[in-house]
Amino acid sequence: MPVIQLRQALREAMSEEMDRDENVFLMGEEVAQYNGAYKVSEGMLEKYGPRRIIDTPISEAGFSGLGVGAACMGLRPIIEFMSWSFTWVCMDQIVNNAANVRYMSGGQYKVPIVFRGGNGIAHQLAATHSHRMESVYARIPGLIVVAPSTPAEAKGLLKSSIRCDDPVIFLENEKMLNEMGEVPDPKDGDFTLPLGIANVERPGKDVTIVSYGRALARVVRPAVEHLANDHGIDAEVIDLRTLRPLDTTTVINSVKKTNRCVIVDEDWGYCGMGSGILFKLQKPLFDYLDAPIEYVHSDEIPVPYNHYLEEAMLPSVDRIVASVKEACYR
Amino acid sequence: MAVTSEVEKRSASKAPGVNGAEDPGKGQSERERLRMMMLIRRFEEKTEQAYKTPRKLPDGSVAQLIGGFCHLYSGQEAIAVGIAAVFNKGFDALVNGYRCHGHSLALGMDPRAAIAELFGKETGCSKGKGGSMHLFQAEVGNHGGHGIVGGHIPLGLGMAFAQSYKKTGGVTYCLFGDGAINQGTFNEALNMASLLKVPAIFIVENNGVAMGTQVERHSAEKDLAKRGCGFNMPHYHVDGNDVDVVMEEMKKAGDRARRGEGPCYISADTFRFRGHSTSDPLKYRTKEEAEKAKLRDPITLYETRLREKGLLSDEQQTALEEGVAEEVNRAFEMAEADPNPPLDSRFDDALSETYPYQPK
Ligand SMILES: Cc1ncc(C[n+]2csc(CCOP(=O)(O)OP(=O)(O)O)c2C)c(N)n1
Ligand SMILES: [Mg+2]
Repeated sequence: MPVIQLRQALREAMSEEMDRDENVFLMGEEVAQYNGAYKVSEGMLEKYGPRRIIDTPISEAGFSGLGVGAACMGLRPIIEFMSWSFTWVCMDQIVNNAANVRYMSGGQYKVPIVFRGGNGIAHQLAATHSHRMESVYARIPGLIVVAPSTPAEAKGLLKSSIRCDDPVIFLENEKMLNEMGEVPDPKDGDFTLPLGIANVERPGKDVTIVSYGRALARVVRPAVEHLANDHGIDAEVIDLRTLRPLDTTTVINSVKKTNRCVIVDEDWGYCGMGSGILFKLQKPLFDYLDAPIEYVHSDEIPVPYNHYLEEAMLPSVDRIVASVKEACYR
Repeated sequence: MAVTSEVEKRSASKAPGVNGAEDPGKGQSERERLRMMMLIRRFEEKTEQAYKTPRKLPDGSVAQLIGGFCHLYSGQEAIAVGIAAVFNKGFDALVNGYRCHGHSLALGMDPRAAIAELFGKETGCSKGKGGSMHLFQAEVGNHGGHGIVGGHIPLGLGMAFAQSYKKTGGVTYCLFGDGAINQGTFNEALNMASLLKVPAIFIVENNGVAMGTQVERHSAEKDLAKRGCGFNMPHYHVDGNDVDVVMEEMKKAGDRARRGEGPCYISADTFRFRGHSTSDPLKYRTKEEAEKAKLRDPITLYETRLREKGLLSDEQQTALEEGVAEEVNRAFEMAEADPNPPLDSRFDDALSETYPYQPK
């Protein structure tokens, strides 16, 4: 299998879908002539031309709403945000227009749109540029929320998101764009991954760790190695992939086996993504748990600029190890 | 006045008959426009009445037929009817704010589907999930009905973008109130529309007031046509109470957009006869102001013109008035008898796909 950057996986996904369907187009700030603020769309203007790769002014409400209007008329827009942090200024377009228009018209529209871009902490960008938006959008009926944690997932999930007839919030992370990984060769056929299904990426018997996106890649995977090698704890790791709708079945089945559960994300804890997941788990798992569910999240402060302060507020390998040991009574 | 369609050109070239009696076909489209304005007015009057008259149910309890916010269109009919007269069904799109009963009827919505939606009934155009502010009839190009002031302006931009991307030949009429032009979306959407040269016609229905805040108090520039400056698109001012003028201007703007010459912005002056919503007692309006506005009632103005042109007789006018009253009464009766949506239907229509979703 070819090993490529996550950035390239995203580009391949968009390009393959654009080749497949004339109605797919990409729009956002600096996506065309600048080749993408983070070079995700590099070369796409040259390949597809200015009709389908479209630069916009800095008008998040304008171009995200444009996408929704175009989707209602049968196009399949991919709207790139430089950062999901900037979507506080256009939330009305995403929540009231993309997510609500089908429902409040009694089902008269399909809204096949993908909003994508970097989510979460991208190192020393301080409070305004470091928002983890998953819990903001994952609580909205009418939206699908996806967060890949590998290049293969980025490609397979993005292709499915573009083909899906519902609005998809696709959460990448700037710091993951350089990550390398095996991605199936396009020559071997069309590669897509299902939306709404979690992946048990590492089977284990002692505890279930539930995570997604950057937290999974950055700290959960190293922590799991540590737990196995240094603490004799065999963790089962679930990569959620889709945050809405949540695949509770996969998580519940795993915890029924391990009887212990730790959730890890980079969100704030109170009303954070993990709190929402906890709400879905506590009742069905009440009789199966040998310990309370642990939730490892960021400190509840605005994100500081200083490198060390930022590091300190985030879930770390140490924090995960400590919480897993707590859940395992070790 | 503006003579636009071929049919009208032909009829205008003939000598006027006595009260239109010579040729019953003559003036038909004019009378149809008058009828539609009357229908909207009648619909809104009856709606206000229904809103304010709770019904006693057989079990003795009292039910409100219409809930929530309800914004009436009375006084502004010439704008919706003027646009509808040049609207190319099957190609064009229209998107509006929450004051949407008028354009919905003008674009051909069955009054029963409209009032049933206000009643929250299953037979409502949005199956009882949208209410007064969210009337939709996508198949004719009526794309709502949007409750957030200014929130739908980018949708209009996107619809026009789709029309140009797919080269459908359609144009988008995007309507909003004078209050909405103070939202950032107005600036963002008009600027992008001009950059992308999409076939959008942005129309501000300037009824002089945003809820209780008069234009003088909400817009630093009193001439709202000038708020369209700075986008490198034509911007002008029209008399929104004159259905002929509205038609003519919309036709020009639409033709221009269809030729690929890009968007334009039109400020249409009009007047809101009733309160902001049915719960507004209109305390901030003087009697003189209201009296003056009555003299510019779009329906009376048009009746007078049609009479002068010999296109409307007394009998015809009475027939139109009685006709719309009967149509509206029947629609209300039927909608009142219509069923509420089944409770389980609340879970329908949130999403298009079923999950897990695996593309084919
Ligand atoms: C974003 C937002 N803010 C406030 C409101 C409440 N609101 C509804 S209509 C309205 C006045 C709008 O006036 P205008 O745009 O002139 O339209 P008109 O009602 O005159 O048709 C207000 C303040 C809202 N619906 N949305
Ligand atoms: Mg107003």
